[in-house]
Amino acid sequence: MSNLHHTLEVKIPFKDNRLATTAQKVMATDPIIRPESFQVEYMVSEDDNGTLLAKFSAEDDRSLRVGVSSSLSSILTIIETMDELDSV
Amino acid sequence: MVDLNTISPKNGRNYYIALGLEGSANKLGIGIVKHPIKSQLSSGDNSHQCDAQILSNIRDTYITPPGEGFLPRDTARHHRNWCVRLIKKALKEAGFNDPSNDIDVICFTKGPGMGAPLHSVAIIARTCSLLWDIPLVGVNHCIGHIEMGREITKAENPVVLYVSGGNTQVIAYSENRYRIFGETLDVAIGNCLDRFARTLKIPNHPSPGYNIEQLALKCQNKDKLIELPYTVKGMDLSMSGILAYIDSLAKDLFRGNKQNKLLFDKKTGKQKVTIEDLCYSLQENLFAMLIEITERAMAHVNSSTVLIVGGVGCNVRLQEMMAVMCHDRANGKVFATDDRFCIDNGAMIAQAGLLQFRMGDIVKDLKETIVTQKFRTDEVFVSWREK
Repeated sequence: MSNLHHTLEVKIPFKDNRLATTAQKVMATDPIIRPESFQVEYMVSEDDNGTLLAKFSAEDDRSLRVGVSSSLSSILTIIETMDELDSV
Repeated sequence: MVDLNTISPKNGRNYYIALGLEGSANKLGIGIVKHPIKSQLSSGDNSHQCDAQILSNIRDTYITPPGEGFLPRDTARHHRNWCVRLIKKALKEAGFNDPSNDIDVICFTKGPGMGAPLHSVAIIARTCSLLWDIPLVGVNHCIGHIEMGREITKAENPVVLYVSGGNTQVIAYSENRYRIFGETLDVAIGNCLDRFARTLKIPNHPSPGYNIEQLALKCQNKDKLIELPYTVKGMDLSMSGILAYIDSLAKDLFRGNKQNKLLFDKKTGKQKVTIEDLCYSLQENLFAMLIEITERAMAHVNSSTVLIVGGVGCNVRLQEMMAVMCHDRANGKVFATDDRFCIDNGAMIAQAGLLQFRMGDIVKDLKETIVTQKFRTDEVFVSWREK
């Protein structure tokens, strides 16, 4: 954990807490493939209504970029699913 | 005793509805399947006659240019782009506009398959499950093929030949497991055909295997087979050597390598063998190997019927050869389905998933929805069948 010095925090607004929590649960399910070089934590902030907070940390900027990019494309898919399929 | 009617359908209905999501390889399939409650399913080994109705079964295939295979990353992107649109279309086709009320269970492919495509579909399955508050069932892809084949053909207890781009297995049921009697030791038969199609640079549309089958039909020298390695190893097969060899023949043909006496006449240098001949001989050789191990499995378990499932299963020549073998055995019979159910599809995942659901086997923790690239057919406990 100590050598994961490259960090990034992303805040993603959702319509409400229910949707933010849904995204958090879906994303937090999968294991990190190489935890020694990349870590991520998903949280729904208590105060802000409906914000997903993703905290990334990695051993170098390359693994940070790769990890963040794959996470974001998954989150994008979740958002599209919500937009199109939530109470169709 | 197997009772498939213990779990009641939603809202006091007398039928179950399952949504199936499949995306383990380059096909993305969404299917919706309906099972009526049937008293015959309260006991006995009747899971092959659920009276399943396919309310929708749509597929979108990621097709690469000739000479190119599909890569996990690009395939996952294809699935992400299309999955939600396909789900909407499938719901519309089935006439559902309130999924959280209409659907009893969401079934998705847990494995085996390519990691990235599997994952992209699993993410959507999880999201839908949470949005609509519907339970999830993770389905083994191979079990999906088997159960769909049994339901469509009504084959009660056949030896199953499962042949596709990623799998080649001979399977028979025994004591709550689909047991693997024989399988490939290296590449799958569909992979072997796909890769040869790439060497030939023929189109991947509708599928490389179909195009090889069509070329083989045009072969003018069916009585003169090109000799290829015949690599049955006990109950197993090996196909990588055959592929390497026939690839080298095709390359010699393209290059016009007159040194190759098999392809060109020694004296005149005239071409003796065509691409069509190669396709024909490759199919005959590979399929003969499949038939041999299938027949041996039938003898082992004393079965007279074969069910062919998986994408390669819609090859008419394979079905024909299997029928010839079965014809020579007492009461022998071949069951096969067409491309709607043979090739990867969503309905098969819904069918197998719904059987699991009706036996109370649902996901209780999202951790159980983590996809897995390796997931053997015999790992699944088949609770919906009698010993």
